[in-house]
Amino acid sequence: MAKTYDYLFKLLLIGDSGVGKTCVLFRFSEDAYNTTFISTIGIDFKIRTIELDGKKIKLQIWDTAGQERFRTITTAYYRGAMGIMLVYDITNEKSFENIKNWIRNIEENASADVEKMLLGNKCELEEKRQVSKERGEQLAVEYGIKFIETSAKASIRVEDAFYTLARDIKAKMEKKLEASNPPKGGHQLRSSEPPRRPTNWLSRCTLL
Amino acid sequence: MPVCTDNYEHEINNGKNLRTIKCTYCDSVILAPDSACFVKIESELPLMQQNKTNAIILEKELISSYWSVPDMYTFQNVGFSNTVGSTKYLTCADCEAGPIGYHDLGNGRSYVALARVRHC
Repeated sequence: MAKTYDYLFKLLLIGDSGVGKTCVLFRFSEDAYNTTFISTIGIDFKIRTIELDGKKIKLQIWDTAGQERFRTITTAYYRGAMGIMLVYDITNEKSFENIKNWIRNIEENASADVEKMLLGNKCELEEKRQVSKERGEQLAVEYGIKFIETSAKASIRVEDAFYTLARDIKAKMEKKLEASNPPKGGHQLRSSEPPRRPTNWLSRCTLL
Repeated sequence: MPVCTDNYEHEINNGKNLRTIKCTYCDSVILAPDSACFVKIESELPLMQQNKTNAIILEKELISSYWSVPDMYTFQNVGFSNTVGSTKYLTCADCEAGPIGYHDLGNGRSYVALARVRHC
C-alpha cells in the first residue's frame, strides 16, 4: 500500500500529573452506574493527521501517563521525540514552577535539537488562576521557546497546540534538508506565499 | 443507533471501506475512504460502558465484522490504550469513546469493529 503521509512526527506531552495534559472537551459519558472501559485502562498514545502547506503529517502523541510521579522519565522515553509540549496548569502554581525542572530533565535526556513549546492549560475557571499569562510568556522568552495558553472560549485544546509545534518541526526539517542538498545552479523555486498563520483557532490566541 | 447486524455489504467496495469512518459519538474522522480491508474475525470486545456495581466481571460482546488496518499510521485520528495482554484497544482520539476495535501486538494489525463506528 502506498504511503499515505509525507511526515511522521513523534511528540511528547510533559508536565506534572493533574495539569490536564489530556484534557478532553467532550468525553464519552460516564455516569453513576457505568464507567467507561477505556478510562479504566488508560490511553498510551494517539495518532492524529494534520495538513500543513499541502503536506500530510502524522502526529504520534505520547502522554507521560503518570510516570512523572516517579521521575522516571529518562532517555528511553525521549528517544526519537521530535517535539515536546511542556504543560502546566494555570490554576496550579507548583506545576508552573516545575516547568524549570522538566526543562532540565529534557536537556539531560532528550536530543539537543528537539523542538519545545510551553503551554498554559486552563481546564477550570479563570477565577482560579494562579499563574498570569505574562509569567508564562516571560518563562518562554527565557528559554527561547514558543508559548500558548489554551482557551475554552476559542476551544483551543492541548492537542490543537501541536499544530504550532508540528509547523516548527517541519520548518526545521526542511531547512536541514535544504542545507544537505544545496540546489545545483539555476534558481530554486520557493513558495511565493508569505508565512501564513492558520486561520481558525490559532488566529485567536497569543503566540510569541 | 442502528441495530447491530452483519449486513454491511453496501459499505464494502472492492473489499475496502467505501465511505469515511467516523466516531459514533463525535465527529472525529477515524479512517479515510478506501483505506481499510473488510475481514471476518470472531473477536470479543469489552463493552464501551461497564457496570460499576459489577466491577469484577468484564462485560464483553462477540463481534465478527472488522475493518483491518495493517499500518497504524493509516488512521486519520485514533487512540491506542495501554497494553492488555497482547492487545491495545482503539479509541476515538477526540472523545475517547471505545473500544472501537483492537490492535494485535502479535501481527501489528489493527481491527476496527464496523458496529462501533459510523460510516458517512
